[in-house]
Amino acid sequence: MSSGQRVAAAKGMPFANSPVLTAKLSAGRSRFVLFVMFAALLALAGRAIWLQGMSKDFLQKQGESRYVRTLELPATRGKIMDRNGHVLASSLPVKAVWAIPEDVKDAPEAKLLELAKLLGMSKRDLDKKLDSDKGFVYLKRQVENDVADAVIKLGIDGIQTRKEYKRYYPEGAAMAHVVGFTNVEDVGQESMELAHQKILAGVAGNRRVIKDRLGHIVEDVRAIREPQDGKDLTLSLDSKIQHIAFTQLKEAVEAHKAKAAGIVVLDIKTGEVLALANLPTYNPNDRRALTGAQLRNRVLTDTFEPGSVMKPFTVALALERGFVKPETHIQTAPGKMTIGTATIGDSHAHGVLTVEQVIEKSSNIGTAKMALQMQPQEMWEMFTSVGFGQQPKIGFPGAVAGRVRPYASWRPIEQATMSYGHGISASLLQVAQSYMIFARNGDTVPLSFLKTSAKPIGQRVISEKTARAMRKMMEMAAGPGGTAPKAQVPGYRVAGKTGTAHKLAGGKYVNKYIASFVGFAPVSDPRLIIAVMVDEPSNGKHFGGDVAAPVFATVTANALRALNVAPDTTKTNIVIPAQGLKESI
Amino acid sequence: MNARLTSILALALVASSLFLVNAQYQARRLFIELERAQAQKRQLEIEWEQLRVEQSQLGQSGRIEASARRDLNMSAVTPARTQYLTLGAK
Repeated sequence: MSSGQRVAAAKGMPFANSPVLTAKLSAGRSRFVLFVMFAALLALAGRAIWLQGMSKDFLQKQGESRYVRTLELPATRGKIMDRNGHVLASSLPVKAVWAIPEDVKDAPEAKLLELAKLLGMSKRDLDKKLDSDKGFVYLKRQVENDVADAVIKLGIDGIQTRKEYKRYYPEGAAMAHVVGFTNVEDVGQESMELAHQKILAGVAGNRRVIKDRLGHIVEDVRAIREPQDGKDLTLSLDSKIQHIAFTQLKEAVEAHKAKAAGIVVLDIKTGEVLALANLPTYNPNDRRALTGAQLRNRVLTDTFEPGSVMKPFTVALALERGFVKPETHIQTAPGKMTIGTATIGDSHAHGVLTVEQVIEKSSNIGTAKMALQMQPQEMWEMFTSVGFGQQPKIGFPGAVAGRVRPYASWRPIEQATMSYGHGISASLLQVAQSYMIFARNGDTVPLSFLKTSAKPIGQRVISEKTARAMRKMMEMAAGPGGTAPKAQVPGYRVAGKTGTAHKLAGGKYVNKYIASFVGFAPVSDPRLIIAVMVDEPSNGKHFGGDVAAPVFATVTANALRALNVAPDTTKTNIVIPAQGLKESI
Repeated sequence: MNARLTSILALALVASSLFLVNAQYQARRLFIELERAQAQKRQLEIEWEQLRVEQSQLGQSGRIEASARRDLNMSAVTPARTQYLTLGAK
C-alpha cells in the first residue's frame, strides 16, 4: 500500500500534497498540545481506577438497588373441606386499595367521586381517609379483583392496589360454628380455623430477581425460596347431614320461640362428629353485625343441667353392680320421697315399676332409690369415666369440662338428685359422647373433628350385657309408652332419653327450661348418636319429649337415609298417644 | 502466517462475543416467557380454586333441596313407600 494511492475523495487531491502538512507549527505550541492530551488521558485513567477499584462496592450496591428486587411470594392458606371433599373454606386472592395521601391531593374531584362510588363508600368517608399525614393509608381492604381493576383504570395518582387474600365460606351460616373464620390478614380467629392455624397457614417464600426497564423479570439472582402453601384440612363433618340438622333445628327454634338451640350428630363406629349446629348463628362471609350470642358455640361451651338424660347411667351402674335386674320391681308410689329435709317427686305417681319402666316413664323416685344403694364414689367414677366433668380432648378451642362435684362432699339428697341429672352440669357434646357406652357395646371412644380412617380404641365402662339391656330400656322410652313417643322414626328402631331441666338464675331455679333429647339409631346396629338441646322454649311446650324429640326424629330419618342405612324394622306407622306422658323434672 | 492466525482468532473472538450477546438475549427472552407461563399457571390455579368454591356454593344441600321441592315438585322418600330389596332373600 503506498501513500500515493490515498486520495481525498472530495477534492481529488493526493494526501501527501495536502496543504495542512506543509503548515509550520511552533515547537512550543505543539508540545503544549501533546501535554494537554496526555494529561487528559491520565485524568481518564485515574477516574477509571477510582471507579473500578475504590468505589466498586458502593456502585454495585447502587446499581442493584435500581434493578434487583426481592419479591414476596405469599403462601395460600389451606382449604377446609368436609369428609366428601366439599369445600367449606377457601382463600382467594383479592386486592387491597391503598393511597399515598400526599400524591392524591391534586386529583380531580370528579375522579375521586367515582372512586368513592367504586369502593362503596361516601365521598366524605373517602376524604376523611385521605386527610392524613401518613405516607400510606388503606382505603379499602379485600376488594374484588374486577373492582380493583376499575380503580386502577381511573388512573388517579397515588392510588394503588396490593394483593391479599380473602376467605370464602360457601356453606355460610350452617357451618359457621365448626369452621370458624379468619381475620383480614387471613389468620384463624375461631373454631377449626383457630385450632389448626399452624397447619392451614403456609410459609411465605421470596425470590431476588433482576427486572428490566419495562418491569419484566429477567433473571433470578439467587435460588428461589418457594412458598409453602398451607395444608388442606378434611373435617369429619358431612355437609349433607349438617344441612339436615341445621334446618331442623332452625324450624324447632321458630316453632317453639326458643332463645337458642344446639344439635350434634356423632358417628358411633368412628367417634367422628358428623354435624354440629347452633342457633343463633352468623354468616362468616359478612361479620359486620356479629354479636357474642351468635358467636357462641353452645354445643361445646355452654353447660346445662342434663336432667333425666342422666338416668340411664345410674340404672346402668345399678345393673352392673347387680343391685337390680331389668325386671326388678321398684315401688315409686306415692310419687314423693323425703330425704333429709328435702322432698323429691315425680310428675305423677306411677306405683310399682320395673327397672325398665323407670327409664321408660322417667321416674325420679325409681332412679333415686337405686342411687341411694350406691357409694357416692361409684357414681362419681361412672360419671367421670363417660366424660362428665372432664374436658373433652377434641382439639377444639373453648370446649368446657362441665362440673361434677367431688364425691366426698355429696350429701344423700344430692346423690339422689344427681342420679337424675340435677346438680351436675355438662355440655351437649359431653352428653352425646357419654351415650357412646350404650350405643356401642359398653365402651366409649374419643371424638374427632377431623376425618379419620383408623378405628378408634374403645375404653370399656360397662359390660356388653348391660349396654344391651340399656338399649332396650331406651327404646321403650322412645316408644308409644315412653316419655318421647315423638322420637319414633318410620322404618328405623330408635332409642333415647328425654331431659327437661329448670334453668338456674342467680342460684335459684326459675320457670325457664332447657329441653333435650339424646338418642341413637338404628337400635339393631347403632350408627348415629344425635343430641338435641333447645334453650328456653316458650311457646307453651317445654318438655324434651315435645320440643327436642321431634327434631331428633326428623334428623335421624333424613340422616340415615343420606347415609344409605337399611331400615331395621318394617313398622312405618307411628303411634303417638294423644295424651303424652309427662316427664318428671 | 502469524498475522493470519491472529486475524482468524480475532474474527473468532468477535463471532463468539456476538454469539454470547445473542445467547444472553435469548436467555432473557426465554426467561420472560417462562415467567409469563408461570404467571398463567398461577392464574389458572386461582381460577380452579374459584370454580371449586363456586361448585361448593351451587352444590349446597339447601339449594339442591329447595330447587328439588319448589321447581321440580319432588318430595323425600319415606320408608313407608319404599320397596327394599335384599340380595338372596325370598
